[in-house]
Amino acid sequence: MRCSLALQRCRLALALVLALHPAMAAGQDQDWGFYGGDAGGRHYSTQAQINRQNVADLDVAWVFRSGDAARFGAELANTSAQSTPILLPEAAGASLVYCTPYNRVIALDPGTGKQRWDFDPGIDRDGERPFRCRGVSYAEEPSAPAASHCRHRLYMATHDRRLWAIDARDGRPCAGFGDQGRIALHGSVDTPAGEVSNSSAPVIANGVIVVGSSIIDFARATTPRGTVQAFASRDGRLLWQFDPLQGQAHSGSANVWAPMSADAKHGLVFLPTSAPSPDYYGVDRPGANPSANSVVALELATGKLRWQFQHVRHDLWDYDTPAQPILFDWTRDGTPVPALAQLTKQGFVFVLNRLTGESLWEITEQPVPPSQIPGEITAPTQPKPIAPPPLLDGFLMPADAWGLTPLDRADCRRQLSNLHNLGLFTPISETLTLMYPGSLGGANWGGGALLGDSGILLVNVNNIAFTGKLIRETASAIPQGSHPAAGQRMRVSMQGTPYAVEIGSLQSFLGLPCNPPPWGKLVAVDLYGGTIAWETALGSVHEMGPVTAPFQIEWGTPNLGGGIATAGGLFFIGATMDRQIRAFDVNTGNTLWQHTLPNDATATPMTYRYQGRQYVVINAGGHTMFNRGQGDYLYAFALPE
Amino acid sequence: MTIPSPHGIIETLALVDTIMRTRYSFVLLLLGLLAVGTEAVTLRVTNPEGQPINPAMVTRTPLVVPEVDTSDNGYPPHGVSNQAAVATTAFTDAGGSVTIDDTATASSIRIRAQGYVDAHIQVPLDQQDIAVVLQPMTPAQKVASYPSNVWLSQLHFGGDAELKKTFQLNCAFCHQQASPFMRNERTVDQWVSVMERMNSYGARLPEPDHKPIAELLQRELRELREHPGQVPEPRPWDAQLAQVEYTEWPLGDGFSQMHDFLLHPNGYVYVGDNLFDRIYEVDPETGAYTVYKVPHHEGARVGGILGNRFTVFPKMDNYMGVHSFAYSKKDGAIFITPSMQQALLEFDPVTKAFTIHDMPRGYYPHTIRTDDQDRVWFTLALSNQVAMFDRGTRAFTVYDLPARSIREWLILKALPLLFWLDPETRPQPSPDRDGTGLPMPYGIDVAPDGRVWVARLYANDLAVIDPKTDTVSMVDFPYEGPRRLRADADGNLWIVAFQDSLLVKYNPNSATYTDYPLPVVNEIPYALNVDRERGMVWVNGNQSDTLLSFEIESRQWQVYPMPRQRFFTRDVEISEADGAVYTSNSHFPTWQSEGGTPTLLRITPRRD
Repeated sequence: MRCSLALQRCRLALALVLALHPAMAAGQDQDWGFYGGDAGGRHYSTQAQINRQNVADLDVAWVFRSGDAARFGAELANTSAQSTPILLPEAAGASLVYCTPYNRVIALDPGTGKQRWDFDPGIDRDGERPFRCRGVSYAEEPSAPAASHCRHRLYMATHDRRLWAIDARDGRPCAGFGDQGRIALHGSVDTPAGEVSNSSAPVIANGVIVVGSSIIDFARATTPRGTVQAFASRDGRLLWQFDPLQGQAHSGSANVWAPMSADAKHGLVFLPTSAPSPDYYGVDRPGANPSANSVVALELATGKLRWQFQHVRHDLWDYDTPAQPILFDWTRDGTPVPALAQLTKQGFVFVLNRLTGESLWEITEQPVPPSQIPGEITAPTQPKPIAPPPLLDGFLMPADAWGLTPLDRADCRRQLSNLHNLGLFTPISETLTLMYPGSLGGANWGGGALLGDSGILLVNVNNIAFTGKLIRETASAIPQGSHPAAGQRMRVSMQGTPYAVEIGSLQSFLGLPCNPPPWGKLVAVDLYGGTIAWETALGSVHEMGPVTAPFQIEWGTPNLGGGIATAGGLFFIGATMDRQIRAFDVNTGNTLWQHTLPNDATATPMTYRYQGRQYVVINAGGHTMFNRGQGDYLYAFALPE
Repeated sequence: MTIPSPHGIIETLALVDTIMRTRYSFVLLLLGLLAVGTEAVTLRVTNPEGQPINPAMVTRTPLVVPEVDTSDNGYPPHGVSNQAAVATTAFTDAGGSVTIDDTATASSIRIRAQGYVDAHIQVPLDQQDIAVVLQPMTPAQKVASYPSNVWLSQLHFGGDAELKKTFQLNCAFCHQQASPFMRNERTVDQWVSVMERMNSYGARLPEPDHKPIAELLQRELRELREHPGQVPEPRPWDAQLAQVEYTEWPLGDGFSQMHDFLLHPNGYVYVGDNLFDRIYEVDPETGAYTVYKVPHHEGARVGGILGNRFTVFPKMDNYMGVHSFAYSKKDGAIFITPSMQQALLEFDPVTKAFTIHDMPRGYYPHTIRTDDQDRVWFTLALSNQVAMFDRGTRAFTVYDLPARSIREWLILKALPLLFWLDPETRPQPSPDRDGTGLPMPYGIDVAPDGRVWVARLYANDLAVIDPKTDTVSMVDFPYEGPRRLRADADGNLWIVAFQDSLLVKYNPNSATYTDYPLPVVNEIPYALNVDRERGMVWVNGNQSDTLLSFEIESRQWQVYPMPRQRFFTRDVEISEADGAVYTSNSHFPTWQSEGGTPTLLRITPRRD
């Protein structure tokens, strides 16, 4: 190979060649047995039947509808279809299994999409909390006799805080697990419906099931603790619990709502913890709140804290750790190090030694501005890796204001001139403050996809500025459907504090964002080189105006859900607000294929090879936060037979 | 011989345990010896092999911070006195020891030495002697701890020395340029965005240079990151530091900017908060300070006639822009340049009354000095002028300095028209490398013979005004970036060459220049002062976290490390009585400094 171009590009190209070469690609030719592709959440498949050369021929292989649309009708508006199916091994029935937003587990024939069985836990649907289920987890239970019922199990944590174990072959509960197949989880009693719920799949390794939770953490000063629980996979015995707040009084949450990862070999589970409550006011929780906003490594067997790495101290921005920790081997300079990559809402990529928590890139302590709220003592510095660069530039100045016309641009410039804005980590105050990136990220729960052993991490990024302020009042209501991602302003009382908080996207009178596009993008990060290899807009805004444009306008859109990389040199992703699933060239970021779905596909796709044919499957059910309609579709794509 | 106290050992071990469990604290081996008194404790600092560390910087900060009345928009109200949380710093001697005098007041003691991880202990102490073992930094920690200047020294800008000087001139007058904040990997677009943002704040980096500099910064910072061995070690701290001690007074908050200040014969130090139109009157003896709000005319706007360049900042309360200080040798009246108005401020330190003297013309009152005739001289940085205020007649005389070209002359003549326009719609400058239209008279001083000397930063020349003849002469300055200057007792001018990283002496009698390389690499000196009594020149460091002294007779340098990282100094004052020097941490933004609060700092000979 002639490296006549810049060394950076040359290194990237070489890395991709190595990564995509079948003989050199890391990992075995495995199918999608975990929510994140593997236990380490790499979102990577060695399947290469679908590749750059033929992806243009990709077409619908089958479509499955769960029936939720017919069954629940308008109620579906309060759901988000986020589930990524997993493919069970042959011994477990070789079904494609996923969950609906109401936690119904459905097993399909991977080749035809025909339903084999389903299991409905009949969850409590009280409360206003949106319903979603990102996935189920599979494990073979070695303590159960071979070929016995529940030798192969699926585990799912439900919206109403139950942990279920069901047989992977027929979907019937495992009687010997907890109370006839179910366990009441932390937060399932004495809390209002929906205050503590669940979104991500549990993780299972070495006979231990670890379960996080999803907690409303901005409406009250002291919310339920974000206690993580671990159970024996055999019978559901509680093995240990871990409170990420570790005794911090006058606060709550710091829960683990994003997917976790497990390293069975080293006996570790990695928790991406969220912010302590309340999100935007920390006077009553002084100090760094050290296990919140962190990656926490616990011993699987005991729950003992091995290490923690806090990426936001004393959070005042709702910068939860949003994404599954990605486990891989760092092979820079020829010495392999067990590593972990953590994406964050603030747009940083931290690369850590996963056995010690030490950063593999120098951490620079970035001085950050103090708060103006009485009694609020912010952390003087926040950690930032010296590389790779931030996924987005956290500054937005009046001169950067964007508009479709001079009028709306002037409106945005005026708004920006009146905002408090010292860049990333500007504390919210009683005057409208720029929050860029906002709580949508940066990165979010879709995480990233690691391209084999290349060190190239592909990640979808939101690029929407929010604004917010604290309001001295205590009584305020949550307007229905008010979420900044849908262009609305959210106003919530933070009970137990002197303030309510108002958050919204920064947009002109035309309803368009004030920051320049792209408003969503796909970024390829070279983890070894510490650089950004390329980036491109992700999504078209043609459906986001009052009327749908007859052509796509690739300015990028907010996005939720992740993407996957394959040895075919492709990156598949939905996630956008344009009902598309796309395939990108991992070398260049060029779009090689796309397909229009009936709804936004705000879920991470998956891929597998079944009976000689590679399929790409994605859940297309919409997201309540986007307010663009819901459905109950599961789409499978394959090359023509 | 003393015998270890079991109680002391247990407490010591508990302390060790506490520190071991914190992320950034490292092993302290403390030997508790019999407590025989509380008046003084000897702290001995060694490396793990037991060798004394000399010098180690030992900084003591009170744990109980006095409550400050901040009822005026988060700041002390006018005329109200408060108490500063005074911090002190001493250095270990050749034996690695330093004495802690007061062992009862609750305090935190930070022990810092080059190449070692900081250690912390807390007072009260009940041991007479304490041994602190500092752990060496890892290679990565060590190189990361280096100050900005050594990193900056290895940025060669592709061999384009002029481009590097352009960068330093236009980017290094607010904050450090190779601090961790700057060394983070950025894309070229992100770098360009930074430069555009800084220009909107008032930097003058020529637009055509943005992209090339962005590409060079990205490439060369990455090269250093990947090959940190290229970064030289900073200059070792001098062993003689054990002979001095520092006192620090934190003032304001992370949004303040303590620009210049004045050591007044009445014993107080007057510090100006440039961003909040406040003067802090500090009593160095007690640590008490009183804040006086600078008045402004009714109808004045934030940002004054310059307009508010920091509209996005959370807090900003400057209508006048407190910049530079001087006092009348006749009656002690204090004169202050309000850079955002066409005015001169007078403050009576006895009655605490302000007077605004409006000026007929001129823009950006900058550095100010007084002469023996009780005249007040100051530069007008934007309009290329020098103003003289005669206290007897209360009249201003404005001296026009020459333009360097017809284009520059036209720009300067157009200033009144530009300032007539609303700041919101006023055309923004499009600077070039020469600073055309902005020769920028900057530093000023009155020589012993009464002549007034002025440095023009972008024009690279000096102006001299002879009040006796009322004439202005120009002298070429064969270096780049004459920022501030001072005259010594012999009438020589001492000038910092900003982007040339030099201290320069100009002998007016022989019209000769002598330059003196600074003792630290790639420092970008902002200002200086001359201790005429003792024949010393004090030079402000802003990239190396140091203050530098130069003995004129021996030509020997001394380097004083600052007690906080990212300590950006712009002014030095010298006590005639004892030679103590004062400076302030004026990093902008302040919240990027270690500790996040601006401080006034005094260096004095150690009293013991």
